[in-house]
Amino acid sequence: MDAPLYLPASAYEQPQTVDYLMSTANSSIAALLAVPAAKAILLAEIPEMEARISTPMLKPHLGNFSPRSLVQFGLFKADALDRVDVKLRALSTAKGSTQ
Amino acid sequence: MTISGTRFETDRRTAMTLATGAVMLPLIPSSSLHAAVPSPAPLGLGRQQPFDSDWRFLRSAGEGFEAPDLDDKAWRSVDLPHDWSIEDVPGEASPRQVGPFTRDSVGGAATGFTVGGEGWYRKHFRLAALPADCRVEIEFDGVYMLSDVWLNGKNLGSHVHGYTPFSFDLTPHLRRDGDNVLAVRVRNLGKNSRWYSGSGIYREVRISILPTPARIAHWGVAAWTRRIADGQASIDVTTQTDNATADLMLTTRLRTDKGRIVAESTSPASGAVEQELTVKSPTLWSPDKPHLYTLESELKRGKTVVDRVSQPFGIRIVTMDAANGMKINDTPIKLRGACIHHDNGLLGAMAFSDADERRVRLLKARGFNAVRSSHNPASASFRSACDRLGMFLIEEAFDMWHVAKLKDDYSNYIAQDWENALAAMVKSARNSPSVIMWSIGNEVPDRSSPEGLEWCWKFSNAIKTMDPTRPITAGLNGVLGAPVIASEKTARPGFAGKTDDASTIFLDVPGYNYRLTDIEAEQKVHPERVIYASETFPVDAYDYQALLERAPYFMGEFVWTAMDYLGEAGCGATARVKANVPFYLAQYPWMNAWCGDIDLIGQQKPQSLVRDVIWGLSPVALLVQRPIPEGMKEFIAPWGWRDELPSWTWPDAAGKPMAVRIYSLGDKVELRLNGASMGTKSLTPQDKAIAEFQIAYASGTLEAIAYRNGKEIGRQRLETVSAPARLHVTAEKPARRADRQGLSYVAIEVHDAQGRIIPEAELPVQLVVNGPAALIGFGSASPFAVGSFQSDSAKTFRGRALAIVRGTGGKGSVRLEARTEGLAGGAATLRLG
Repeated sequence: MDAPLYLPASAYEQPQTVDYLMSTANSSIAALLAVPAAKAILLAEIPEMEARISTPMLKPHLGNFSPRSLVQFGLFKADALDRVDVKLRALSTAKGSTQ
Repeated sequence: MTISGTRFETDRRTAMTLATGAVMLPLIPSSSLHAAVPSPAPLGLGRQQPFDSDWRFLRSAGEGFEAPDLDDKAWRSVDLPHDWSIEDVPGEASPRQVGPFTRDSVGGAATGFTVGGEGWYRKHFRLAALPADCRVEIEFDGVYMLSDVWLNGKNLGSHVHGYTPFSFDLTPHLRRDGDNVLAVRVRNLGKNSRWYSGSGIYREVRISILPTPARIAHWGVAAWTRRIADGQASIDVTTQTDNATADLMLTTRLRTDKGRIVAESTSPASGAVEQELTVKSPTLWSPDKPHLYTLESELKRGKTVVDRVSQPFGIRIVTMDAANGMKINDTPIKLRGACIHHDNGLLGAMAFSDADERRVRLLKARGFNAVRSSHNPASASFRSACDRLGMFLIEEAFDMWHVAKLKDDYSNYIAQDWENALAAMVKSARNSPSVIMWSIGNEVPDRSSPEGLEWCWKFSNAIKTMDPTRPITAGLNGVLGAPVIASEKTARPGFAGKTDDASTIFLDVPGYNYRLTDIEAEQKVHPERVIYASETFPVDAYDYQALLERAPYFMGEFVWTAMDYLGEAGCGATARVKANVPFYLAQYPWMNAWCGDIDLIGQQKPQSLVRDVIWGLSPVALLVQRPIPEGMKEFIAPWGWRDELPSWTWPDAAGKPMAVRIYSLGDKVELRLNGASMGTKSLTPQDKAIAEFQIAYASGTLEAIAYRNGKEIGRQRLETVSAPARLHVTAEKPARRADRQGLSYVAIEVHDAQGRIIPEAELPVQLVVNGPAALIGFGSASPFAVGSFQSDSAKTFRGRALAIVRGTGGKGSVRLEARTEGLAGGAATLRLG
């Protein structure tokens, strides 16, 4: 048996982003808020959204958490997010943000 | 010659070897001592000599404390490791403060309401008459957080990562024939940590005195098992030397634990020397059989040994891939992982070797075979225990990168310090067989942004340059970012042009934090992905075990956390709230996280008893829900657990309904009360090993019996205890050393007349210690700030307390007597040395 090797790469080039359909499960809160149309949908369905995500503990993580990933912590309710997802599907795919 | 795998003994042996060689010179008399301090023995040649005794400490901010002629007689004498944050805060106990805890703590709940600030250390030392061109180097294994070091008033430098080892060359500013004064300023300022960090020189300090400038470089040996085949192991060793001359030879050898040489290679020493060792019929390292060799690197000029480095080494190959999950030495193995913070409970952050080893022993006893050192590199002594006792270890560098989690945290320094930090983590630990992955971060904010991606690549690549033998990982919460594609130059080998997630594109093995339901779905999209759950909720243990059994690519879970820790106060709180209150926010006097399987003094909590069942260590667990008053409900934090106890002593519940839960992997369980059956329940996978009964409370004996296929597989009994009668005191094994680094743990329990522990006894206990040991920790597992951890009195919690004594240097018997009003006292005798 041979040991595996994890070799370094040679140089850094910024990875290219790929188009994808945004949703409350696969997109971070920061990414959703960065797209005006998506932000409008979020705020329409969850008016208290901005207050909920303004805590100092959560703020640094808005690029990591999707709204759906916070359901288990009680921050959002799944049914509201379901409604958001229905509306998000009508938007064109997002590109540009890596978050 | 006997060679031990332990770091202390190996180092001592190295020093002894040098002492008997041609390079050792006689010691000098102590006539040139600084008048202000007692005469310490002069230091002679030797690598990694303990440098922990006889420091002076002042808990104060100040200027000029580095001055060599400062009179420090009034400073407190301390032996390292030392953590001032676990010492009592000044002033009387009050509703605002008790012991080391105060509501006014800057760190607040994050640091368990403890206090940081500034402290100064000074150490006086002298050198033996040494060769003119000898080199003297000091190494700190960890100082929290910001440190500045001076020798004889000359500034040597600073260190900003509170958990990485660092060293300074003392040679240029040494006084060869007089008193030397090393001064260390330590600052733990502002809001810089999300958990209890401790403050001070909380890990070991070593000094190396080498006879010539030519030497094996600091952390200069990198060894790894390249191949195991045909009954032999091939080990590649690269050794970096400093100031090597053409007449020097480097010999690298591997010795068994009996000292027998099983492989050896000798080469001219210059710069980086690459050698191969071949070991026939090797004994391999694994968590079950952690066999260690000693890797010896020796630099010689003719017959004279110029330098020698010895370190433990385990022959093993670890592989991780989606088809097979994880294997060690070609044998599949699943990770039973423990996330733990670095503190040693009642000792605060003090990283005593004995305390670190005890933690590893406690974890192994509960079936854990892996630790994720969250969220910082572990102490050398903890890693050594993992090597010796057989525990995989994930070393983690950072809790954040360029974006702060707290305003004063390491993000302020990372841009300038990351290369130092990663080099210290990797080079100091890369020969440890226990280390299986390098984690570059935990729940890092902004990790998927363009800036975050670049940092991720830099960190990952830098580590691979130093150690290409281990995969890079990180703990990923939430979502994994947008789909991205890396170029040929930038991608991991084999991944150029392939779509990956932004958070995982530069990771070899992504760690999923609290992403149970995402694992299978995302692995379908990325079938090359091998995954482990780097943080999990205790309540999900059954689901993770089920996933482990059906998904080959899933390597296992790391529960948050395996042990209670100081800070993140009430992270796993369970509380009673009014029915209309949606949540509970733990505040002072909560001071520990209370999310551990094992509590602050090493006892199993209910979630641990249940994990025993799920992991097959126990056939059945029987737990009883504490009654919830009418109009109230139980709030359980996501990391928490139901307030249930292995107790059938509920004096206020006579005749009232009680929820009783039996946990078992059997297919049927039965509950009996005082011999009468209270019913049976079948268990299916949908029950997730839980059967709940509602019965009216009656004192006596409650018994759970578990069955599989009609056969009993185990039973568990709880008895109603009678009144507290006495204190029961027992010393933990193994017996400990008598020296200042030797700790002994003594359990104090409140028993009834029949010798049964009183499950909820909270009684004040007074301790008296006689003999060559001093009390350095005394307290309970209570998650609340209830008292000092360093006084001779403490209150039991759930019938238990723990005392920790430290040797004062002499061998002999130590007697601990525990007393409480109205009960018979107890005592235990330890034999040290």
